[in-house]
Amino acid sequence: MKVEAKRFLFVALALSLTVGMGWAPGASAEEVLKIGWVADMSGIGATFYKSQKAAVDLFVEETNAAGGFLGKKIEVIARDAALKPDVGANLARELILSEKCEFLIGGTSSAVALAVTKVSKEFKKIVFFHTSNAESITTTDFQPYMFQVVPNTGIEGRGYILYLSQKPYTKYGYIGYDYAYGHTQFDAAKALLNKLNPKAEIIVELWPKAGETNYSSFIPTLMSKNPEVIFSSLWGGGLASFIKQGVPYGLFKKSTLTALYDLDLLRATGLEMPEGQLGYARCPFYGVDTPQMAAFVKKYTEKYNEEPADWAIMIYDGLLVLKKAIETAKTFDADILVKTLEGMKWNSLRGERYIRAEDHMANVGIYVGTTAKDPRFKNFLILKDVTEVPAEKAWLSVEEVKKLQPK
Amino acid sequence: MTLDFILFLSINGVAQGMLLFIIASGLSLVFGVLRVINFAHGSLYMIGAFLACSLSALLAGTSLLHFLLLLVLVPPAVALLGFVVEVTLFRRIYRREHLMQLLLTYALVLIFDDLARVVWGGDLRNVARPELLAGSVEVFGLFLPSYNVFILILGPIIGLGLWLLLYRTRSGKLIRAAVSYPQMLSALGVNVSALMTATFMLGCWLAGFGGVLMSGLANIDLGIGMEKIIECFAVVVIGGLGSVGGTMLGAIIIGVGSSFIQVPLSRLATMFPYIVMALVLIIRPWGLFGKPER
Amino acid sequence: MPGNASGKMQRTAVAAVLTALFVLPFVLAQLGRTGEFWIWVITEMVIMALFATSLNLILGFGGMVSFGHAAFFGTGAYTVALLMKKAGFGFVPAMILAPLAGALAAAIIGWFCVRRIGLYFSILTLAFGQLLYMIVFQAYAFTGGDDGIHGIPKPEIFTPLTYYLLCLILFLLCFVSMRTLTNSSFGLTIRAIRENPERARFLGVNDRRYQLLNFIIAGGFAGLAGGLFTELNRFAQTEFLHWSKSAEPLLASLVGGMYSLVGPAIGSTVLIFLKIILQQIHKDLVTVWAIILGVILLAVVLFAPEGLVGLYRKFREKRTQN
Repeated sequence: MKVEAKRFLFVALALSLTVGMGWAPGASAEEVLKIGWVADMSGIGATFYKSQKAAVDLFVEETNAAGGFLGKKIEVIARDAALKPDVGANLARELILSEKCEFLIGGTSSAVALAVTKVSKEFKKIVFFHTSNAESITTTDFQPYMFQVVPNTGIEGRGYILYLSQKPYTKYGYIGYDYAYGHTQFDAAKALLNKLNPKAEIIVELWPKAGETNYSSFIPTLMSKNPEVIFSSLWGGGLASFIKQGVPYGLFKKSTLTALYDLDLLRATGLEMPEGQLGYARCPFYGVDTPQMAAFVKKYTEKYNEEPADWAIMIYDGLLVLKKAIETAKTFDADILVKTLEGMKWNSLRGERYIRAEDHMANVGIYVGTTAKDPRFKNFLILKDVTEVPAEKAWLSVEEVKKLQPK
Repeated sequence: MTLDFILFLSINGVAQGMLLFIIASGLSLVFGVLRVINFAHGSLYMIGAFLACSLSALLAGTSLLHFLLLLVLVPPAVALLGFVVEVTLFRRIYRREHLMQLLLTYALVLIFDDLARVVWGGDLRNVARPELLAGSVEVFGLFLPSYNVFILILGPIIGLGLWLLLYRTRSGKLIRAAVSYPQMLSALGVNVSALMTATFMLGCWLAGFGGVLMSGLANIDLGIGMEKIIECFAVVVIGGLGSVGGTMLGAIIIGVGSSFIQVPLSRLATMFPYIVMALVLIIRPWGLFGKPER
Repeated sequence: MPGNASGKMQRTAVAAVLTALFVLPFVLAQLGRTGEFWIWVITEMVIMALFATSLNLILGFGGMVSFGHAAFFGTGAYTVALLMKKAGFGFVPAMILAPLAGALAAAIIGWFCVRRIGLYFSILTLAFGQLLYMIVFQAYAFTGGDDGIHGIPKPEIFTPLTYYLLCLILFLLCFVSMRTLTNSSFGLTIRAIRENPERARFLGVNDRRYQLLNFIIAGGFAGLAGGLFTELNRFAQTEFLHWSKSAEPLLASLVGGMYSLVGPAIGSTVLIFLKIILQQIHKDLVTVWAIILGVILLAVVLFAPEGLVGLYRKFREKRTQN
């Protein structure tokens, strides 16, 4: 028993000693403005993180070369939430309380975002989301210290239905991951489809698990129902696998596949991507013709020797919002900045955009087009004839948003 | 569902099962001889797939020869990694309790998966199928990808090879004897520890082989190891730990079962391996082909 | 048996540790935001220590390796989340029901699992744990799927400080009851079964029934830990049920030492602490956290299988020999 007691003492001592050490590094560095980033670096988050980090590094470099925010140099401190919400919430707290970060950046997973936005609200620190895109974060889970610069699940789902319903299709098929992102997007799409085209019917619905890589059993089932168009909330590696496996089954001879064709995906599927698919993207650099985008792509390509994926552009845009707000309000005070942000216009890479005051959602739509070869890119296809489905057509109305938001 | 469609789904499902069999047989073999459930088997499979991607980018070709070269070169590389791990780590824990063995292999999962992230990063990648295997064959009026047919043929060949090795060669007899009487074998002058190293390497070779095959089929990312190891557990438990024939049967059950269950209920397909695994463990824990312990 | 003098020393040491645990947050509260962060951290440490200790009833004392302990942690978490957010329950009734729900889940799952020994037990607990995870994941309308349940009400009286104190008191109560339990005739029987099941059976002990009861009790404590963790974070999430969550207390038990009651709590505390310290020393260290954790595990398995507590014992033995 004596042993046990001494052990206790020993541990307690060690604990209090090391706790003491813990806050030593956090105390210094007065002149730097810290921005905490709850990123998803590992697992399937790694793909996104790579481009996100490249864009953040570029932004920090440029901003500091130009004098920082209101004369303060900025520093972004990144942590890995590993797609786990409880880890994300803890890290957000650590970044605010221990690292003394004034602002937060979100990550890739929506579940983590939902946890992080609560911490942002609790400590009244502004956070923005750029890749995770839960619509609920602007409605049922809305809180004023958040803003979102990525087309949310509702804008995506309704956006591509707006596009597809102009075509003569009536037999729709669906395949998507069985998780919140897939379901919210599907629900938004289905509701709008019923309204726009009552003759259209969703004849087959398949729900593989999130991140599924083997679609060999799903593809024949999908094909046996002969849908004319398949819309999908698959993305990333799973979508690349689905396309790769679908080609030899002859899937794309019978149906066209509408899904998220971001640059990483297009690069991964390469020349195996069938031509003429009706796809969408959140922010394809090649489909946006603005001088800002051209300048950004040039800088990015020179630095990293590859074109920026959608994730890089969106996180960069989010940082631009923050910069504009701070420069307009001339303060780091979160409550004043929230007021500044509401309705604020900023010069985004996508052209001029604004933050809607009621739900802090940027008016960013999705970009639609058809897959095609392009002489500029030898190893992969891109979307051709890209047009934007404006957010104003696809997002929830202010009344709908108000009804959903917490009172 | 028409009869044609049912037959098509069955063949398709068996092809899925064969890929699973190739990977799971390595896990089963290692357990059969070393009595260690290797959590890191999925990571080795993933490393095999990543190596295939890198090598294929290096060779830059899509002919069948290029692809065969991957199949020849990558699995031995994974086996070599297995050699290092066996000699430095596994060897020390054969006599320890299950928990320590499991935790050691789990530690390897943490290390391998993170190292893979450091080395290969988050790029989405896969291997372009050789032109000869990129098309499809008509079966019952539907198209079955040639690549699946290729796997469908490889699976039984590997199964047969393993069976011949274990039951028709002297090393096989020794391996099997090493399971039950390691002391007696060493007394007879057999180098048991070399035998165990060789078996472990063979298990890793199979993981690497499965990885190469997968790299031509699907996108390779950092999650595939974790995903596959659980499926392999299910296969191996269903068939009976350590039995090659059982692993084959388990793989076919999971492959064909998942193929059919998603027709009416796609959401159940995820749970299917776990449900079968739980049922087998409750009703017949030593698996369909295994023998009860003691 | 220790003599009077060492008994006195022991009491002094325990008193000192307890005082430190109670005084620490008040000191931290004086340190502004950094202090507030550390109160969060030590609260999480206390809850995770409870989770790890509860697993150790099965692992260290029962000698059974469960890979599905997160199922009961998660059950407790979702019980609190659903009751408080959707059914309007208060904190106290929800927190009383959390361990009961955890125990109930453990009773159902355990009934199947304890009949299996060794590896089969481990894999079966893994299978059941993952099935529960998937059911909660897919019951999208009810549980919010992978988005989880957010915005669980926080009673007025809870500040980080008071909540820490509540968790600490509950942890100490649980710790004392587990200690009493493992030293009781029930605990001795469980240990006897671990050492030699045949012999225990021969002596007329219904080993399965004892193990099931032990499994249920452990599930109850895990449920309480899950409930407390949910209220701390104010959300419940499917990750709480995932098998990687089951691995956490396993690793903690291993690192701390599973053959003593206090070992898992120490292991859990050390691991949480190490991760935070690493990320504050250098931000790149935490990006390879998994590798560091893996290497620590390898070292423990190979060189110190009885964990930190075992190392300490060895160190003491050496000293007394000298």
